[in-house]
Formats: sequence, C-alpha cells, structure tokens
Amino acid sequence: MAPICCNVCVFTDNSCRLWDCETGKQLALLQTSSAVRTCGFDFSGNIIMFSTDKQMGYQCYLNFFDLRDPQQIEDNQPYLSVPCSESKITSAVWGPLGEFVIAGHENGEINQFSAKSGEILKKAKEHTKQINDMQSSVDLTMVISASKDNTAKLFDSTSLEHIKTFKTERPVNSAAISPIMDHVVMGGGQEAMEVTTTSTRIGKFEARFFHAAYEEEFGRVKGHFGPINCVAFHPDGKSYSSGGEDGYVRIHYFDPQYFDFELEA
Amino acid sequence: MQDTVDMADDPEYEEEEPSFSDPEDFLDDIDDEELLGDILREKPQEADGIDSVVVVDNVPQVGPERLEKLKNVIHKIFSKFGKITNEFYPEADGMTKGYIFLEYAAPTQALEAVKNADGYKLDKQHTFRVNVFTDFDKYMNISDEWETPEKQPFKDFGNMRHWIEDPDCRDQYSVIYESGERTAIFSNDAKEPITVEERARWTETYVRWSPKGTYLATFHQRGIALWGGEKFKQIQRFSHQGVSLIDFSPCERYVVTFSPLMDTKEDPQAIIIWDILTGQKKRGFHCESSAHWPIFKWSHDGKFFARMTQDTLSIYETPSMGLLDKKSLKISGIKDFSWSPGDNIIAFWVPEDKDIPARVTLMQLPSRQEIRVRNLFNVVDCKLHWQRNGDYLCVKVDRTPKGTQGVVTNFEIFRMREKQVPVDVVEMKESIIAFAWEPNGSKFAVLHGESPRISASFYHVKNNGKIELIKMFDKQQANSIFWSPQGQFMVLAGLRSMNGALAFVDTSDCTMMNIAEHYMASDVEWDPTGRYVVTSVSWWSHKVDNAYWLWTFQGRLLQKNNKDRFCQLLWRPRPATLLSAEQIKMIKKDLKKYSKIFEQKDRLSQSKASKELVDKRRAMMEEYRHYREMAVQTYQEQRSLRLELRGGVDTDELDSNVDDWEEETIEFFINEEIIPLGDL
Repeated sequence: MAPICCNVCVFTDNSCRLWDCETGKQLALLQTSSAVRTCGFDFSGNIIMFSTDKQMGYQCYLNFFDLRDPQQIEDNQPYLSVPCSESKITSAVWGPLGEFVIAGHENGEINQFSAKSGEILKKAKEHTKQINDMQSSVDLTMVISASKDNTAKLFDSTSLEHIKTFKTERPVNSAAISPIMDHVVMGGGQEAMEVTTTSTRIGKFEARFFHAAYEEEFGRVKGHFGPINCVAFHPDGKSYSSGGEDGYVRIHYFDPQYFDFELEA
Repeated sequence: MQDTVDMADDPEYEEEEPSFSDPEDFLDDIDDEELLGDILREKPQEADGIDSVVVVDNVPQVGPERLEKLKNVIHKIFSKFGKITNEFYPEADGMTKGYIFLEYAAPTQALEAVKNADGYKLDKQHTFRVNVFTDFDKYMNISDEWETPEKQPFKDFGNMRHWIEDPDCRDQYSVIYESGERTAIFSNDAKEPITVEERARWTETYVRWSPKGTYLATFHQRGIALWGGEKFKQIQRFSHQGVSLIDFSPCERYVVTFSPLMDTKEDPQAIIIWDILTGQKKRGFHCESSAHWPIFKWSHDGKFFARMTQDTLSIYETPSMGLLDKKSLKISGIKDFSWSPGDNIIAFWVPEDKDIPARVTLMQLPSRQEIRVRNLFNVVDCKLHWQRNGDYLCVKVDRTPKGTQGVVTNFEIFRMREKQVPVDVVEMKESIIAFAWEPNGSKFAVLHGESPRISASFYHVKNNGKIELIKMFDKQQANSIFWSPQGQFMVLAGLRSMNGALAFVDTSDCTMMNIAEHYMASDVEWDPTGRYVVTSVSWWSHKVDNAYWLWTFQGRLLQKNNKDRFCQLLWRPRPATLLSAEQIKMIKKDLKKYSKIFEQKDRLSQSKASKELVDKRRAMMEEYRHYREMAVQTYQEQRSLRLELRGGVDTDELDSNVDDWEEETIEFFINEEIIPLGDL
C-alpha cells in the first residue's frame, strides 16, 4: 500500500500518532516518556521512525516501528530503540531505500542510523551549531540541513559527503530543495526568544533563494513579519510555501521569469 | 557565691588549685625580640634621622641680629610639610653660611619639603634649592669611570609608510570581529575587501590607529603594543598594567596611557607619557577620574599638552615634560578648555561668578597673552567646537534669558583669521541635537528640534561678516552628522534607536544625493580621502546582523560585508599630503586627463572580475553536474528496489500513475447578481 497516511507528532501529551489522510481517523496512538521531535515514514510506508527529546530525566531515543506487525503498535514496543546519549536529535529524514535514517543533532552533527541494527553507519560534522531542520530532495538522493550557525548545507544521502554550503547572517530554521530547478530555499530569523519590538519591521522576514551549484543567493521573498520556521517546495516545483512565527502560512506561485532565470556562466 | 577572701582558707579549694610556679631549674628560652619586638624596633639608632634631613641652599646670609627673624620665616615655610624636629644654621665669621639643615619627624615629610619648596622664591635674590641630605652622598659617589652605553642593534621595521604607496591608492581599515577574538586589516577595494593581515587575539579589547596612521595600537593586560610597517611587526611596547585608555600626540612622538590600577602617592602611575621611538617612560601623573578622556589635550604641533583640574589649568611643554613657566595657571571656576587645531591657542570658559559674567577666553601660548575675551550672560552651559583648521571657533551657549524659564541656545562664532577675532552670533530657536563644522571649509551643519520633528540646517560663515542659513531640511530621521574629511559632502545618520536612517548630502548646493538605510547601524566612518563611507552594526550594540556596508560618498551601496560578531571598523588615517597648494590646483585642472586613464583601468579590472566569477561558476556547475549525473545513475539503478518497496507501483514521477487519477469537476456558488432589465 502506498503511504497516503501522514503522521502527526503531538508535543503536549508526549505521543506519536498515526492518521488516515483520507478519512482523518486516528489509527494508532503511541505514548512516549518525553516529547516527540521528528517522525517519518520510510519509502515503503511500512516502517515509521520518530525521535523523543531529552527531557525530565529521559534520554533521547530514535524509535522504529514496523506497521506490518500490529503487536508492536498494540504493546507500544518499537522493534528498535536507539539511545542518543551525547546530543539529542533535532530533525531526521529517511534514506532513499529505507535502510537508514539521517538525523541532525543539537550539536550540529549528522548521523546515519541503520534502521535494522541502530548502529551509526556514517557521520558528518560540518555544522557548528544546532541543526534546526533536515529535508530530502524529491528523489531522496540529497538532504539539506538548516542550522543555527547561519548556514544550510547540502549532503549526499548515502555517503553523507558534504557537497554545498549556503551562507547567511541569520540562523536558518528551515531549508528545502527544488524538485525541478537547481535551487534551494531557506527561511530563518532570530530565535523566537530574541525577537523584541525592535524587529517589528513589517514584512521584513524573507525567504531566500540560493543557486544550488554556485552557492550564490539570487532572490528574496518578503512578507512574513516574524521568523520563518518552515519552508517547503510543492512536489511539482511550481510553488513553495512558508510558515512563520507570525502564525501565517504563505503560498507563493513562481512567475515565469523564475524558471527562465540564469546566473551568468 | 562564696566570698573570694575565704577561698584561700577553704581546705577544699587548696587541694584543687594547681601550682603556677615554674620548676626550680627552668630557664626561659624566649628572646627579647619575641617579647618586646615592637618596643625594640623603636629603639633609636645612630643612622636614624639621616633620611629625614633636608639641606636648603640659597638661604640669606644674615648676622645675629636678624637670625631670629630668619629662623621664624624658615620655620613658617617649612613646617607646612611636617614636624621640624631639628634645625642647624652653620655660621662663619658671625654670619650664617647661606645653607641650613632641617630635620623632620619622618622621611616622607622630608620628601614633601623637597617636592614643594625646591624652587621657592623667597625674594628677588634668593630662590631656595632643597635636597634630601642623602642625595649629596649619592651624587658625590658617582664613579669617575664612564662606560659607553651598549650599542643597541638597529631594528629595521622596513618602510613604515608602505601602505600609502599602494599603486591603486587603496586605504586600509582595521576590523575587529568574532566579539574581539579576531582582528584583521583590509585594503579597501570597491569590489571586495582585500585581506592584508589577520590575527587571532591580536588585541584583548580594541585597537587604535595613531593620528598619521603609522602605528596600530593593541591593548593587553600588561600594557599596549604598537605595530607597523608592511608586515605589521611589533615596533614597540609599553608596560602599564591594566591599561584601559590611550591617546597619541598629534605628531606621533608620544603616547599617553591610562590605567586605573597602579597608583601610589609617591610614584604617580595612573597616566604615563611615553616616547614612542625610544620606548622610554617620560613622566607619570595622578588621575582622579578618567571620565573625560583624554585628560591631557595636545596642541596641534605636539609642543604642549595641558590638563584641567579644579580651578587650575596646567600646561606642560615637550620634550622636557615640565610645567610651562614652572607653574600652572589659576583660573577660578574653569569648566572646559580646548586647543585650536591650527595654532597654539587655548580656548576656555568660566561660568558666572557673583557679579562677573561668564566668559570665553582665547589665550595664546606660550606667551599666555589673552587675545580675545567674550562675556556671556545668564549662561547655563557652553561647548567648544573648533573648525578642523582652526579658522573658526564655535561656542554653543545654552542660556536662560532673564525673566524666562526655558533654555535657548546661541552659537557664538569666533572668526580666528580676522583681526581682533570678531564674534558673530546665531540664535537657535530649538534645542540642539548635533553640531559639526565642515572640516576644511566655512560651513557648519546643525541638527535641531525634537523627535519626530528634527530638522537639519546648513549655515555658511561668509567673509562679509554675515552668517547665512543656506538650507533647512525638516522631518529628518537623524541624530548625528558626519562630514567627509575633505569637506562638501556629508552623511546625516539616525543611529541606533533611529534604526539606521541615512541621508547623503552635497552641501555645495544642499541637495540630498541619496536616502538609504542600514538597519540598526551604530557607526558611520568616512575614509580619510572622502571617497567612501562605511556604516556598520556593531556586536557591541546589537547582537544580530553584525556587518559593515561600504558606500560611495554619493550614497551608492557597493558592498555588504557580514562578519561573525563584527565589533569595530576603523580607517587607517593618512599623513598630511606632500603636495603643495599649487600642485593640487594643477591636478584639479587636469582632472579630465587623469579620469580617462582611471576609467579605463576600472573597466579592465571589472571585466577581469566578471571573467573570474564566470570561470568560477563554470567550474562549480561542472562539478555539480557531474555529481548529479552519478547520483541519478545510482537512482536509476535502484528503480527495481523502489518498485519492490511500493508493491509494484511506480511513484518515480508525479505523473507516473495517471491511470490512478480521478478527475472530478466541482461547482460551487460564488455570487449572485440581480440585474433588472427594465420594463420590457
């Protein structure tokens, strides 16, 4: 069955829930001892992973459930639970074939966890501060990490080779890879805590577009009046949306010029 | 309670009482030092008292009839410094010899006497010379042998003016970033900064350039260091523990350091003046408070430096570092002073004192002649503003006119180059936010009013005795004025709380060339040639968006340089031009010829830059393409695995499963409009 259900992680009551997208019915509720940070289906849609936060004496764990085994869900017993003692996982995505999970950590590290054994297959230590978001390219061959160290970095999913870096002067909260162009979009701003009245410049928080090969910024879209927390391209690449601290989700459709634009080379 | 008298008789008591007597053969082993140490120390010794003796020379030689009077006079003068315990007036042939010995109760008092009475003029013929007695011994025992001082090897620092010889006339600037961890020197190029030097922990707090740009001073716990030359080698260092502030003499011969830490009564160490070339400490001074640094203000040629203390103006001369004419000036109530930047003239003001009005005085040094005095009435406060060449002095006077409560401001403009220094007055109706002279011209700019109604006014001090208001811009977002060091152009900036509003003005016709913004800018710095302006957001005042932006003097933005936790940018000053006024005139005449050559050069370098950029991009794209090709290849190879994972359903493309798609047309109600067609 193709995965057409989406997960929702709920913070307040420490749980991970499984929903049916068509009907909106909750299919499963998995209680956890601490808040759930990130979750996702593997390519086959049979395995779900989610990470729990380091909170109230509980460690950070990366849990794996096989949905084909209803017993695991009923007993709330993951078939694999990997502890992360050093630095908690802040965001994670699956690899291209469901063999491993690529996780970003609070200390800027990126690790590949095997979905079968839980061991760390590959490591990358490129970022110097917390990773805020990880997203894959549409074909899952690349991942982009958005970090508090004011950069976003592009990695190869399988080898974790560091390919590109995109530099800004503000912490990057989220980054996404265009499905059809050599572009990435990034959104960010100050930490929610640090936003004071001095920064209420209406509409001055911008989503920034970089050329993936040249690492050069070529465009910005204003509109949010708070830091941007999440960005995503539509799967057809003809639009993107951004969600911000200001409580708005903005959906932008690209002008024809966007697709014709080229940096001189 | 029992009566104590009875205790001894009480049989019970006698039994319990231990014996306190020493055993018979006990010999105590305590020495006198332990028992009576403090008393023994005060035992008078032969050598005692020598340190407290002073010798006074040039004492009048008198006979017995006037001896009593002389002793009284001496006593009166010298008992000010302490208790005189002994005196000896040697005589010969019935007259005193002309020198006497005085003994004080303590050596510190003797030192006070030497410090204060040496040089005391008793009368026309007698000026006391006072010395400690022990000094005589010291000087008499100086060895007759003279050793040639060791020859110091010549330290060649290379060409100290190397940066000025840059063929493209690039100016340098220092940048402190990473919250002080790194300091770098860049060469300013319109395209992008060129790194000259970059060092970690070069300074512990901040840096300062010397006035002519020769040295870069860095701060350390132990003192300061001076760097220079092509490679920024260490030229000199000055040891002053806990140094926090420094100042250079305009001629770059001396540097003044201040530290709040080390200061003792005998050895003033709060402020030290050093000779830069030799590294020697020239003189130390006490300092009560460093609130108004620099405490010592230098004359423009470095010949004098002066400081103000309560009711006193002390002027010192170089290189002796001694007080001019050996004494300070008593100016009762002196509030502020400053040197003319063009001549050895000091301007100072004193407030009202009973019947005497407040006044501003201009004093010529070293003659101390008062060349101009201006009385001012109902004065609340004054501020002195010199034009950079010393051509004009503006005294901003805040007054409360009689019968009113409010404060009004006048500008008293002193025309220094005209005979007898005439003064013109400009009355201002609103409160003043900022004032600045055009550096080498006769215009000045004023920001006045109160937020949000702030205006910028430009005045011209004309030769015919009039001061003309050229132009006023109202509703300005500005709190600071920055003139180009070459004059004519300026930037009005609303720094910090005004969010970095910038206005670039050409004062030759008072037009706004450009209005821009550098959000949260905290500083504006012109380069020494007046071609470029840097606006910056310092980490010291704002924790995000730390960067410095480079603009042309017309307000065209050239660069945005983000630097992690950028703190401070300072342009390297240039020494005065070596060209004569004639030569400058000639160059201005032939400017067109030179412009053509420069423009060609610029075009060449630009196309070279774009070519470099284009080549770089090409290489990056090739590399990226190659990587993507490999990745896509692997992706294709894994297709069968993907199909397997999804139970045979192809999801590789968005439209891989068009058959699966259902098309549904939905209609929904938007609007209803009723249009009457009239009576048909």
